[in-house]
Amino acid sequence: MQSFQVGVDIGGTFTDCVVIDSSGHLVAAKSPSTPPNFAQGMLNALTIAGENLGLPFEEFCSKISLLTHGTTVGTNTLIQRRGAKVGLLTTKGHEDIIHIMRGSRGIDTRNLNQIVHFPESQKPDPIVPKRYIFGVSERVDCHGQVVVHLNEDEVGKAIDALLKMGVTAFAVCLLWSFKYTAHERRIAEIIRMKAPDCFITCSYELAPKWGEYERLTATVLNAYIGPVTSDYLKRLDAKLREAGYRHPLQITSCGGGSVSVDRAIEAPLLTLDSGPVSGVTASKFLGQFINCSNIITTDMGGTSFDVGIIHEGRPAYNFISNVAQYEYFIPKVDIQAIGSGGGSLARVDAVSKTLRVGPDSAGADPGPACYGKGNTVPTVTDADVVLGYIDPNNFLGGRIKLDRQKSIDAVQRVADEIGLSLMETAAGIAKIAEFKMADIIRKTTVEKGFDPRDFTLFAFGGAGPVHAGVFARELGVQKVLIPLNRIASTWCAFGAATADILHIHEQVEIQASPFNSDAIDMQLARLAESAKAQMNRDGIVDGRIDMKFSIDMRHRGQINEVEVELPAAVSKKSPKLPKKGLVTVEQAFYAKYESIYGKGSSYGNARLEMVTFRVRASAATQQLVLPKAKRLRTGVMAQALTGTRKVYWSDLGKLLKTQIFDGALLQAGNKLSGPAIVETTDTTIVIQPNQTLRVDAFGNFELHFGA
Amino acid sequence: MAVSREHKKSTFEAIKGGYFPPKKLTISDKLKLHRKAAGKIDPITYEVIRHSLWNINEEHGATIQRLSGSPVAMYALDLNPSILTEDGEFVFFGPYMQYMSGVADTQVKWILENRSDNPGIKNGDMFLANDPWVGAAHQQDVMLICPVFHEDELFCWITNCLHQYDIGGITPSSFCLSAENAYEEGILIPPVKIVENGEIRRDIEELYLRASRKPEAVALDFRAQLAGNITAKNRVESLLKRYGADVVKAVMRKILNDGERAFIEKMKRLPDGVWRDRTYIECCRPGDRKTHRVQLILQKKGNKLVFQNEGTAEQDGAMNATFSGWRGSIMVALNQLLCWDQYFAIGGALRHVEFDPTPGTMNCADFPASVSTAPVQAMEISLYPTYNVLSKMIYGDAKMREDIMCIGGTSQWPATIFRGTDQWGEPYGYLLVDPIGGAIGAFATGDGISTGGQSRTPICKLPNIEHTEQTFPLLFLYRKEVIDSGGAGHHRGGMSAESCFIPHGTASITHDTLSSGNAMPTSTGMMGGYPATVNVYKFKRETDISRLFEKKTMPGDISEVNGREETLSLRQQDFQQNPSDVYSVIWTGGGGFGDPLERDPTKVRDDVIEHMAVSATAARDIYGVVLSLDETVDIAATQKLRQSRRAKRKAYPVVNGTLQTRQIKGKILREVTENLFVRLDTKGSGKQRKRWCCRACSTDLGALEQNYKEGCAQLTAPITTANPNIGDWKRYIDDEPVFRQFFCPGCGLLIENEISRADDPLLMDIQIEIPA
Repeated sequence: MQSFQVGVDIGGTFTDCVVIDSSGHLVAAKSPSTPPNFAQGMLNALTIAGENLGLPFEEFCSKISLLTHGTTVGTNTLIQRRGAKVGLLTTKGHEDIIHIMRGSRGIDTRNLNQIVHFPESQKPDPIVPKRYIFGVSERVDCHGQVVVHLNEDEVGKAIDALLKMGVTAFAVCLLWSFKYTAHERRIAEIIRMKAPDCFITCSYELAPKWGEYERLTATVLNAYIGPVTSDYLKRLDAKLREAGYRHPLQITSCGGGSVSVDRAIEAPLLTLDSGPVSGVTASKFLGQFINCSNIITTDMGGTSFDVGIIHEGRPAYNFISNVAQYEYFIPKVDIQAIGSGGGSLARVDAVSKTLRVGPDSAGADPGPACYGKGNTVPTVTDADVVLGYIDPNNFLGGRIKLDRQKSIDAVQRVADEIGLSLMETAAGIAKIAEFKMADIIRKTTVEKGFDPRDFTLFAFGGAGPVHAGVFARELGVQKVLIPLNRIASTWCAFGAATADILHIHEQVEIQASPFNSDAIDMQLARLAESAKAQMNRDGIVDGRIDMKFSIDMRHRGQINEVEVELPAAVSKKSPKLPKKGLVTVEQAFYAKYESIYGKGSSYGNARLEMVTFRVRASAATQQLVLPKAKRLRTGVMAQALTGTRKVYWSDLGKLLKTQIFDGALLQAGNKLSGPAIVETTDTTIVIQPNQTLRVDAFGNFELHFGA
Repeated sequence: MAVSREHKKSTFEAIKGGYFPPKKLTISDKLKLHRKAAGKIDPITYEVIRHSLWNINEEHGATIQRLSGSPVAMYALDLNPSILTEDGEFVFFGPYMQYMSGVADTQVKWILENRSDNPGIKNGDMFLANDPWVGAAHQQDVMLICPVFHEDELFCWITNCLHQYDIGGITPSSFCLSAENAYEEGILIPPVKIVENGEIRRDIEELYLRASRKPEAVALDFRAQLAGNITAKNRVESLLKRYGADVVKAVMRKILNDGERAFIEKMKRLPDGVWRDRTYIECCRPGDRKTHRVQLILQKKGNKLVFQNEGTAEQDGAMNATFSGWRGSIMVALNQLLCWDQYFAIGGALRHVEFDPTPGTMNCADFPASVSTAPVQAMEISLYPTYNVLSKMIYGDAKMREDIMCIGGTSQWPATIFRGTDQWGEPYGYLLVDPIGGAIGAFATGDGISTGGQSRTPICKLPNIEHTEQTFPLLFLYRKEVIDSGGAGHHRGGMSAESCFIPHGTASITHDTLSSGNAMPTSTGMMGGYPATVNVYKFKRETDISRLFEKKTMPGDISEVNGREETLSLRQQDFQQNPSDVYSVIWTGGGGFGDPLERDPTKVRDDVIEHMAVSATAARDIYGVVLSLDETVDIAATQKLRQSRRAKRKAYPVVNGTLQTRQIKGKILREVTENLFVRLDTKGSGKQRKRWCCRACSTDLGALEQNYKEGCAQLTAPITTANPNIGDWKRYIDDEPVFRQFFCPGCGLLIENEISRADDPLLMDIQIEIPA
């Protein structure tokens, strides 16, 4: 029977849908998003996709074998601060953890203003005001031994008081709860007895990690977005069932896969930042086809520039994340962002009379000067228009008409201030933005032990391919790849459609060398058990589950931890170290440590410590077959050349009549030499002098350096 | 080789009071400096290179953090990298421990003057240094200094500094709280060439490591510092290759020149004058009960600032800092209040700042004074008053006023240094890092930041309790923000916190204390703002804590446990804490800004009800705000209370009894502080016409040359009225401290407060010049 695997991603403007049929072919659909009722836009997009396949909505839905959805409801709830009134129960004496914030202000260390200028550096408005925080008597020590038994009278009174204050969600986080869970469990039980409908998050369950501040913030944030997100997901799930979809709805997570809707309802925190992560998932998937296992992903949109890393086919992870100035524990595909997108503003520094670009942005509204919505400060996009990179009449496939004169006026004002020509100034704005992008990529590669020269850089997002040729050259990457024209515009939905089901379970058990392999095996077995139970709850049979284990280790007495992957022999069938496995693990630690921190940086005499044990349990989804061209043509079809326009090339220092090509009409094997420009419905690819563009057999555009 | 019998006396004799780099350095001809800078560079290239230089410095810091991985580097961020020009001017320093880079330039200049001939400065060399008389906060802050060459010319310098856990001395951790001189402290290393031609000199490295109780940790950190310098050096070299040395040098010069211009621009907007601050250190050695005066004088004349410390106590015991520590401290506040818009490029401003200390004083101590505790005591007390004098100076400009910041938390560090055998059976030693959670003082525009960190380490983080408990045999009973710890004011200072713990998993813990500011507040407020809490040690022996535990009760405060109270002295050595002994520490909070009676009553209500920052008692006693039972402001009662307070205030005797209470009607010549204006009197003549007056009611407070405080109604109150957390001073010091308040005799507005030893005269904190 015909069946479909579907991915849906809801963005601010459009809801994208990608369908993969049982023979591996791909159909995409787009429909306007419908805030605040985003579910409607999603159903519309599914309807259109069905129509594209010639199927009525209900029939299409009934044939979907797996529907994976990326949601921003949790993110929006946080940004707009319209989450639940949360009551927090914690160990008495430690009520101020989330207010003290470890004595930091949660500021981005890249924002120099906030570092040195304290009046601009306040803490966030508290997400749980102090009066909603109740300490209860209980205490556990670092060995997981109870020092003070849970005082249930206090618990009962605290819950009653909070309910009276009108809380709709509870967060429970006690000291050392990841070592000893019974007290949190008991509190949850009492809450459930008193308030069966309240949303409850316990820290031992959501983020069983070492470090009360980041564990507690995760717990509170989850409770805060819980009621709103679960409402949305429950309604959506019901509608899809009504429409005939018969399988569990999957939700993309920041861990780089998907989780069942039930899990997302319990742990909506997993959905934060899942959108950008889907871009990395899509890149990883595409990378498999083109034999590319080391990838730097870059997504340049209107307001931000996001960078991810895939090394040897695996995305780089971060285990602490940051939202609204709060740091929290979550295993997340590492995305580094800077506020340097097309909307970044270019200004003249009052003192040095030189040009600064960003970090503030014109955003989508009013947007760049050329949007004509009242902004007169030039942005990177305005510079691109002035330089001739972007055709004002064919921006994003003509969806938005730009006013070139407004860009010129804006850039000219800056040019007059610094005494350069219009074109030099525009080129300067672009160059400064490109250097900043190169820097953030440098931070995510070189500073983490990766050499950019071993990587291919993927450029997506509306503004990325305009500048990728320059920032990639700065870094010395092998080449730039602009993914498949046909799906570039629905890239995150494509990531959702191809995401594996993935649950990451973690358990902290700090132990120092010499290690005891029985103790290690016990942790691994526990993790395997809990991951399997989760998968089974989601209806995944044992045969489909794959498990990969890892341990975060460090030199004893030091802070830096590295994730050491355990050998493949440690599997779901046998979740324990093989004979001599300990030696292998220690060697793997030294090798990984030195690859990140440099040769000779590890210190053989120091004892080692294991901290966090982790399993990534996954179930692969159906594989896509990307059609590959049988013939490669070097020659470009005449129709593909749509015209010429004057473009300023700063490497050459002059305006040149430059050929413009329609990306949709370029064919596999086609080769173009720069300077030239390729336009697609979603982006513009700028081929700098001394660069060549090649279309590969799948239809991806490759930018090569050095002619 | 001929053996020289001549002992070169000059080198260290000349810097007995600390090395003051001369304006013109004496450098051997053997060393060629790269001086050429491109004439004009386009603004784009400038921005790209400027940004690269900043990033190089940032990557330098990140490299040290990654490689060191020590708790000191990671939590306390006790490190800092910098880039300096060939002749030792700052291009950039980093966002970490701000004290440190304040000393980098003196080190570089000393090396240029004293090492360019013998052993010479060559490409591939690096110098190790920690001598506080050359330039270091204290011996534990070890610098690695690396020249960068372009061809055969010295192009610039890359330096870093990293606090070492132990480099010797009579106390483990090298904070030698009872040392009487530097010979009892960690090894002193004037700049020595530890890396030569790209190779570590093993002889020198071993000389260095040999002094430490933890040579492996020091060795590892040395490699981190080395890697940091190499990373930065390589990146600078690739910039030179790409853009040309002259262009990069031109960018460096422009960064300095722009910073200088911006500084001058600001100076032009401010009046000339003199601003003073006075504070005190308690306990310079075990058993000491004296208070040691610390004075800071800032003079502004035209574009120039001069800092002096005249009137500061003589060096004594183990409380001192050297000149470079004092200067580095002042630079922290200078950067944050005056140069924040130059993003860590302070070199240009420094061209117009002079440091003119009195030798032999506690913050400009002569060799061989004990200085190993400088950063937690002498330097904090040198830094924080700088916020006051600079803030009062910049109040004169309406825009710069927005940058004002009162003294923040942990203005003296209440140290708990301890050791023993941990729960894993291994020896350990530790200094509780919690006070780094600090607090930020109030701003002229709003409240300070509770537990917002220490301003001198703007991006630090204190460890989680679970991290501390895993590593050390402690059980924290609580860590909480302390009510009323922030100074009261129109804008309230940030709250500080209290950590309370018992030994756990060990028979006992051996402790030392090291503190000051426990009797007299050191986070004073400003312009009528009240001081924050003092540091507080609380210690109860043989308590009933285990019985409470059995009854399933955790105490919320040490007052809830019963036991024998013991007063810890401020440098108490080797005392034992047993598992039934409860120990808690409160560190100072942020000072307040402006008269508390001017605070919006609803904000006071929120402070009491929502933020738990102010007690109901303080709301009434200090803010004059009365709350109803339904948690709202009782407006009528509040108005009445505030009125009666003001009436009482203006009835206090005016210091200068001959001054009659009248209003000055003439035009405003200067807005000097939140409460104080200078007006031109329509009566009288000559100099006497320029008169201090109350901002609110224009009541005359005397002639401009006089101390305005003498025109105020003065109350000398017990020190305990300044903040509800201040206890009995007699426990620590012999000299009586007082809280002096100066009110407008016309309307009762609180013009200023002063924390003082009873026998010290009124401080003339502001003298300004107003041209005719």
